[in-house]
Amino acid sequence: MRPPVCILRTDGTNCDVETAYAFGKCGADPRLVHVNELRAGSAQLSDHAVLVIPGGFSYGDDVHSGKILAVELTSFLRDALLEFTARGRPVLGICNGFQVLVRTGLLPYARLGEISATLMANDSGRFECRWVRMRIEGRSVFTRGAEGRTVTYQVAHGEGKFYTSEGVLQELEDNGQVVFRYVGPGGDPARTYPHNPNGSLNAVAGLADPTGLILGLMPHPERSVETTQNPNWRRGEGGDPDGLPVFRNAVRYAREM
Amino acid sequence: MPVQEVRTRIKTNLPDPAGEALLAEIRSALGLNSVRMVRTARVFRFEGLTPAQADLLAQSLLWEETFQDYTVNRPLITDADRLLEVAYRPGVMNPEAASLVKAAHDLGLRHLDAADSSQEYAFYGPVTPEEIELITKRLLVNATIQHVVTAKPESLRIAGAGRATKIIPLRRMGDGQLMELSRDKLFLSLDEMRLIQEYFRRAGRDPSDCEVEVLAQTWSEHCMHKTFKARITVGGREKKPFLKRLQEATADVDHPLVRSAYVDNSGVMAFYEGWAVCGKVETHNSPSAIEPYGGAATGSGGVFRDVMGTGQGARVIASTDMFCFAPPGTPWEEIPPGCLHPHYLLRRVVAGVRDYGNRMGIPTNNGSVHFHRDFRAKPTVIVGAYGILPEERCLKGAARAGDLVLVIGGRTGRDGIHGATFSSAAMTERTMDVNAQAVQIGHPIEEKRMSDAILEARDKNLIRALTDCGAGGFASAAGEMGAGTGVLLALDAAPLKYSGLAPWEILLSESQERMVAAVAPENQQPFQGVCRRLNVESTVIGEFTGDGRFRATYNGETVLDLEMSFLHDGLRTRVLEAAWEPLTPPEPVLEPPAHLSDWAELYGRVMEHLNVCSKEPLIRLYDHGVQGTNALPPLGGADLDAPNDAVVLTPLLGRPYGLVIAHGLNPVLNLIDPYHGSIWAAAEAVSNAVAAGADPAEMTLIDNFIWPVPDVEVLGALDRAVDACADFSRAMGMPFISGKDSLSSTYTTGEGLTIRIPPVLCVSVMGRVPDVRRTVSADLKQPGSTLALVGGRRPEQLGGSAYYDLHGFLGRSVPEIDLEVLRSVFEAVHRAIRAGAVTACHDISEGGLAAAVAEMAFGGRCGVRLTMPAGIRPDHFLFNETAGCFVVELTPGRAPGEVFAHVPCLAIGETTADGAITARAGEEELFSVPVAFLKHRWQRPMKEVFGA
Repeated sequence: MRPPVCILRTDGTNCDVETAYAFGKCGADPRLVHVNELRAGSAQLSDHAVLVIPGGFSYGDDVHSGKILAVELTSFLRDALLEFTARGRPVLGICNGFQVLVRTGLLPYARLGEISATLMANDSGRFECRWVRMRIEGRSVFTRGAEGRTVTYQVAHGEGKFYTSEGVLQELEDNGQVVFRYVGPGGDPARTYPHNPNGSLNAVAGLADPTGLILGLMPHPERSVETTQNPNWRRGEGGDPDGLPVFRNAVRYAREM
Repeated sequence: MPVQEVRTRIKTNLPDPAGEALLAEIRSALGLNSVRMVRTARVFRFEGLTPAQADLLAQSLLWEETFQDYTVNRPLITDADRLLEVAYRPGVMNPEAASLVKAAHDLGLRHLDAADSSQEYAFYGPVTPEEIELITKRLLVNATIQHVVTAKPESLRIAGAGRATKIIPLRRMGDGQLMELSRDKLFLSLDEMRLIQEYFRRAGRDPSDCEVEVLAQTWSEHCMHKTFKARITVGGREKKPFLKRLQEATADVDHPLVRSAYVDNSGVMAFYEGWAVCGKVETHNSPSAIEPYGGAATGSGGVFRDVMGTGQGARVIASTDMFCFAPPGTPWEEIPPGCLHPHYLLRRVVAGVRDYGNRMGIPTNNGSVHFHRDFRAKPTVIVGAYGILPEERCLKGAARAGDLVLVIGGRTGRDGIHGATFSSAAMTERTMDVNAQAVQIGHPIEEKRMSDAILEARDKNLIRALTDCGAGGFASAAGEMGAGTGVLLALDAAPLKYSGLAPWEILLSESQERMVAAVAPENQQPFQGVCRRLNVESTVIGEFTGDGRFRATYNGETVLDLEMSFLHDGLRTRVLEAAWEPLTPPEPVLEPPAHLSDWAELYGRVMEHLNVCSKEPLIRLYDHGVQGTNALPPLGGADLDAPNDAVVLTPLLGRPYGLVIAHGLNPVLNLIDPYHGSIWAAAEAVSNAVAAGADPAEMTLIDNFIWPVPDVEVLGALDRAVDACADFSRAMGMPFISGKDSLSSTYTTGEGLTIRIPPVLCVSVMGRVPDVRRTVSADLKQPGSTLALVGGRRPEQLGGSAYYDLHGFLGRSVPEIDLEVLRSVFEAVHRAIRAGAVTACHDISEGGLAAAVAEMAFGGRCGVRLTMPAGIRPDHFLFNETAGCFVVELTPGRAPGEVFAHVPCLAIGETTADGAITARAGEEELFSVPVAFLKHRWQRPMKEVFGA
């Protein structure tokens, strides 16, 4: 069974094709679905086992990154999203998709319309594309069995600084909702640039909701599913591509649903 | 209803990165220390909402409580010493406005009918009004597109009164009047004006302004390439036109992979498994000189559309950028009047390319920046794009009579129309002041969704032919597509950004993000259905006829009626005289350094030379990984900061096939000798590709000539450069398949100051390889391996080198490359890489062997022990910049003489683990320089410019 995965597109989505490739490689049936199709009812979210909001610059990242799409989703697809998550189906947001999930309120608390964290402009004030190391921690269906592993993904964003109140941050830590954390060369949480590429609090690179079904992260696992995507595969790195566990886990979970 | 205002800012207890970035620039670029802190706020304005609705919009869209404060209809920052609001000028498209309207509508606020956004800057500290003016002028406001808001606008709506078509009494004009008309707006020669006059005398009527404008546009140098098509006489001998020489070389090479050359919007070559790849490289020098951000961004947008409009539609898979500026440290007093400072130009041009490519999702992963003081008036901004498309759809269909003309994408405004003024009229509530040269800032999201629509329509076979609206707008797009059939446009059907455009303006507008498709009538509905679903506006604006005429109507009235044959073939070929006088700069007499420490200092100075130094801070601003195709990134090596020579992409995910993209240019060499300088550029381009593993037998080339305004001597240099390209093409068996000339890079003032840029020939390369696993990077892989220099060169030929430049010399002895040797070197290097005999390879360019070895050591996090050959001066050996030479690290067990048996090859040393580059000449140690020292020097210049 190849679980159908909804790769949600809209104006400015631009990591949809490689995200679909990553899911396809790991045994899913990825479908590129435009938000207009969901709004018009010509495609149904409920026909899919996994929802993915891929990277890009949805609606130009106007006002705030991911905001316009977040408003659209909470205005028009509220019921479909609530039903989807209530049925225990996984949701993944990468980069711009993570920004969208945070701005809908699906992360960190799976409460649609309640925004309790943000992804702000990088401390550097710049968009940057570089490779970062992260430790996988916490609890999510996308990272099962990979906990404790250190992975290298590419970041490519200008607004990726995770910020929230001290109370929320503590709660996320206590609940094991921090799933990806930037680390330095020694494996410690990265506090400073460039290992922490954006100034995220507690070096948070990715988060799950309390159930572990909804995951969002700034770095791009879909750019690490082939050995030759590793910048130093010629130096013997990237043999077991670091991004694969995310997609394999999603497919395995969807099959077991 | 009055305009409502919402302001938001980052809470004062949190850092404000935009403010901090500006503060850093105020300190570094302007040297002002009076500003202690800068904070920013966003201003959003809405028309059609009540204050309560504006508050609702603030709470659900504009403001996020986690990190922001907001106000409605009152100031937000009240404690600043100075507060300044910067907005786009009315009429300049603000892409955010459409998103604001969309989101408001999504939230149920249907009455919102206009929105705008802008930025407030708050300055803290004892800053004077004069200093604020300096900051405003140099860092914040480009007067072409932006202004300082001094009062809240009364209205956000833009409109103007319609203007009628005028008849121009051309038939009875004398020569003087003809030239007066031309000088004002047409830029045609007297001969050309007379041709038009004769045409309308024969027709027995006077032309409309539309007709004159369309002729002027079609016959412009920009569209017609009159110089490249002219017959050239050199010393009394007539030579073939430049374009013909290049095309004949391509025909002679007769390369089996070429699918289309010099006919489509980009050149097309076969890839694998039924796919083809295409490439196009464009310049956007003039717009970038005036408004670097918008100019560069729309340059990228334009070249992407060229690729999108190739064949029946291609997907853009890569973007490249090649720039030439004056040094960023050029003193202000050396910047000519009316020109922007290179420090600002460089950063804004990079930002424009960054934002267009990143937002559209095109990886920008190959490029370079060159510096020379004679670019201080006019920079060179080159942007390239590459695409992939099914081979069976890689050729354009011809529009047929009865096909519809559909315009898709953005709306038409006054953008880019010269001499147009936009005065307010009764329909608007405030005075509009649209700058005559309204440069658009580009809307990559519009272009991305248009690209998605084109690809879907292509795959459903709904497109007969397709082209982008670039220079000349509808006039050029429809005029070219309908050249074989005839076309009739209804100009009143074109969707406009605002009312009030005259018919000729609609025809000529260069608004971005528009394309024109020829669609069979039965495909109109499905084509428009695809567009609608992807939020792309599409409109039928006419049809292809069978009458061989270019006609247009406006509200039923004919405003344009020209024979296509006159439009496209009515111009006579020019005859131009060219003569080249060799420049004879003195050849310097330099002594090599005497002491170890002098060597270290010299090596460091070469590494920090602007044309040698690391460009990492720029490269990081570009998303080079989007699309997931990158198999050789621009930066690699142990610390991911060492440069590679080319980019290798796997455009078909999951397949091993590689597309290799590289380029070469070195303008300063063309100052001395345009023939050998041009050979150098082409050799460098191909060397970059070959160094990464590309196959010289499976490559195509793209030419870009960026030259000063032609006079006899400038043409003489161009003549030499074109001959070099044709000679190179034939000798290498590599065809040029696309090209562009831009012959306007001269600056003059009334006071007699003339600045000509060093002539730029940029050669770009597209190559294919069957398996990317047989490609190599430049970083050294391990200590103890053998390094070899492969390639022929005369080390004393140092003309135009960084080494000479550091000593204040240009020199005369430009590297002269033996094309026969070069071809065999390319083949030998490729064979060695494919056979796995090479673990790292880097070609020699600016900075010479010394820079190449250092960069390889940066990537390998290791050292190198060099052995200087006897009989060659060590400084010549190290700093000669002959292209077509390679430093290779050999796989253990392989010997240079065995791997490179029949080409010039020299063992030059070995890799070490000691973190230093040392050189010995015989028994004598010349120097030992820590790699970390060289790397620091090499990284410093651009870090300073970009504040990284």
